[in-house]
Amino acid sequence: MKKNGSLSVLLKGLLKENPVFVLILGTCPTLATTTNVTGAFGMGIAALAVLVCSNILISLLRKVIPDNVRIPCYIVVIAGFVTIVQMIVQAFLPGLYEMLGVYLPLITVNCIILGRAEMFAGKNNVGKSALDGIGMGLGFTLALVVMATIREVLGNASFAGIEIGFLQNYKIEFLVKAPGGLLVYGCLIALVYVITRGKAPLKKSFSCAGCPNAANCQTGTCEAPAETVAETPAANSEEGGAQ
Amino acid sequence: MKKSIFSTLALVSICAVMAILLALTNYFTAPIIKKNQDAAADAALLEVMPNGTGFEKMDTGSYTLPKTITEVYKAANGGYVFKLETAGYAPHFVIMCGVNADGTVSGAKCISSEETKGEEKTYGEKLAGKTIDDVLAVDTVSGTTMTTAAYKNAVKDALNAAIILGGGSVDIRTPEEILADNLTQALPAGEGQFTRLFIVEVIEGIDAVYTADNGAGSVYVMGEEFIGVPTGATSENETVAAAQAVLAASEVEKIDLTAYEGLPKRLKSASKTTTGNYILEVEGAGFGIMNTEEYIHSSGEYILVRVSITPEGKIIDTLTVYQAESENYGAACAKEEFYGQFDGKTEENYREIDAISGATYTTNGYLKAIENAFKAVKILKGGAEE
Amino acid sequence: MDAFKSLLVILLSSVLVNNYVLSRFLGICPFLGVSKKLDQATGMGIAVTAVMLLATAVTWPIQYFLLDKVGLGYMQTIVFILVIASLVQLLELLLKRFIPALHKGLGVYLPLITTNCAVLGVAINNINDGYNFLQSMVSSLGVGLGFLLAMVLFSGLRSRIEESNIPKPFRGLGATLIAASFLSLAFMGFAGIVEKLFA
Repeated sequence: MKKNGSLSVLLKGLLKENPVFVLILGTCPTLATTTNVTGAFGMGIAALAVLVCSNILISLLRKVIPDNVRIPCYIVVIAGFVTIVQMIVQAFLPGLYEMLGVYLPLITVNCIILGRAEMFAGKNNVGKSALDGIGMGLGFTLALVVMATIREVLGNASFAGIEIGFLQNYKIEFLVKAPGGLLVYGCLIALVYVITRGKAPLKKSFSCAGCPNAANCQTGTCEAPAETVAETPAANSEEGGAQ
Repeated sequence: MKKSIFSTLALVSICAVMAILLALTNYFTAPIIKKNQDAAADAALLEVMPNGTGFEKMDTGSYTLPKTITEVYKAANGGYVFKLETAGYAPHFVIMCGVNADGTVSGAKCISSEETKGEEKTYGEKLAGKTIDDVLAVDTVSGTTMTTAAYKNAVKDALNAAIILGGGSVDIRTPEEILADNLTQALPAGEGQFTRLFIVEVIEGIDAVYTADNGAGSVYVMGEEFIGVPTGATSENETVAAAQAVLAASEVEKIDLTAYEGLPKRLKSASKTTTGNYILEVEGAGFGIMNTEEYIHSSGEYILVRVSITPEGKIIDTLTVYQAESENYGAACAKEEFYGQFDGKTEENYREIDAISGATYTTNGYLKAIENAFKAVKILKGGAEE
Repeated sequence: MDAFKSLLVILLSSVLVNNYVLSRFLGICPFLGVSKKLDQATGMGIAVTAVMLLATAVTWPIQYFLLDKVGLGYMQTIVFILVIASLVQLLELLLKRFIPALHKGLGVYLPLITTNCAVLGVAINNINDGYNFLQSMVSSLGVGLGFLLAMVLFSGLRSRIEESNIPKPFRGLGATLIAASFLSLAFMGFAGIVEKLFA
């Protein structure tokens, strides 16, 4: 099968460069909104919409935006689209708006979006940027839904609010609480590592440069589970300061 | 320089573009959001008043309403919908209650609670269509007495509030507040701080005596009547004057418990007045000890009861000196409504009292303490005769 | 007295019960990223607390005296994030120029805080919860201290993880997240404690 460029741009976000499980971006909403499938799906689609819109606009403006103020410009564009999505959700899906609460405006500071703006949309044409946004957004949505399914089915014996009869007496309620989120996330990262063994890219080249938290992470977040373990974090704080 | 001006311009223009986009979206979505919010707010109101229209939130600053009421909405048909926050087993028990123009409950619904049994979810249905007297007559549900009693009281508050808003007047004071008001009225010099006096002598015609904490005097309660007597004065009322004389003449002497054999183990101290009455302090097992005879005292979950008994075996007064029972359950044994029931009782009929609902162990422990007090009086009396 | 009590309740519940990192999942990135060493964790925690206080002190009046007054409430997100970003820049410049010693200690963390969602989160939450100015400041202080507490505790846990022999797929972030899960479990024990303390 011929692997054409735009298709691979679209598909890489689903597993190989999955923003949540491989690039480890957007951890906060991943943990906070995955207590039920409905909320997780809504969060994923909201982020997808913001991601596609901001990618398109930033890609269009990439020649106009001066390099030295690009990050503030990106933030303004993203915050704007987040607010637009927020207003639309509030108007047409008030239930979802209640459910997501403060995490909806906080899409603004979701590293995935700023990261893609910096890494991809700022350098590529409109079509590719849009595809990249869709791919990454779908990967984010997929990851959230997978995690929410595990947590909701096992923790609350329901799927998207529909009760599952035979599990009612076997709820592991711990999973829908805060510690359960961290536990499931940790296990899923290990699982995805096993599935993509050797194929997972080094995170640094994909996300860190675009993540405003990059220097902040040092080797913590942006570290591939095994390959980069050897790179000991020596004097990283100085590097961070120099940035 | 030129570069930084260009950068600033670019940033400002992007801000402007986004602001315009936002304003446009807001222009289209704002009316829908407003409509949704109004509909959602009305939906909650309609649930408790299905035929209500044109709800408007009221400013009730000029009225004195029961403290549980947090929000009031007036309907076009003359009814009101109240949002109330009360406490059942747990705090933050929020109820919506609609009251028709004719003073009946149009509906009541619990909108958020931390109660344990879930009874509050359907209890409101039993109250719909009722008047204030009917509401109070509805049974509480055993096992969730705290929850359902709180529910009923909240609905009562709503009905009272509707009367007040309609220009009527209702006494919305709690029994404690009524007592405090009566005492202050009888003896203003007491400045509202009174302590109930533990009575050790038979005083005819007097129900209770309160002394002012600041030493200004005492208040004698005779049925509905409250008579204040400043310190050093003698009341013009004959009954009160007689009681004053009896109390003034009373002297109390401690009894050495080691001089007697076979006294109940739980008897902590005993005294005798010159008129022959006994004052005993007896312990009872609380909920934490579950009535076992041998209990660990350090757990603190015992009840200490002070009781005065005539030589003939009639209780003069009772007081809960110490208890550590569960709040909202057994702790009610420290209330006068409970221990006041023992006044005038004898060994034959002291068990004919209303138990504390939901606190069987506490009640039983209390009764056991009284039983021991009667036992002790017999032994102490026997010893005195020898 | 009651006002003081309510402030104390806000403070304690945002430090312990509603810990932003461990129960509301805000500020996870720096929590996972900078908690490897105790001194870095402490530095980051202090810097975040300072920025939160500063951000609240500025965003609260902006919301109530500017945005609400002119009916631009919907510009909240965009204005807050810009204000926070500029504040952080300004703070860094001032520190560098006037207190170089402090800048050396905390300055490195400052530019990274701009997009820490806990900072924007606390600014928005203070408005959503309807806190007055004093309550907002106390709540920000509590959230910041809670963040610091979580960072310091977790840096202790992590130094142990680094030394243990973990199955390969869990190495790195997997084991770290699971350790964070246990810390979060411990914090669940605080639920209800504040209400009972002041009941």
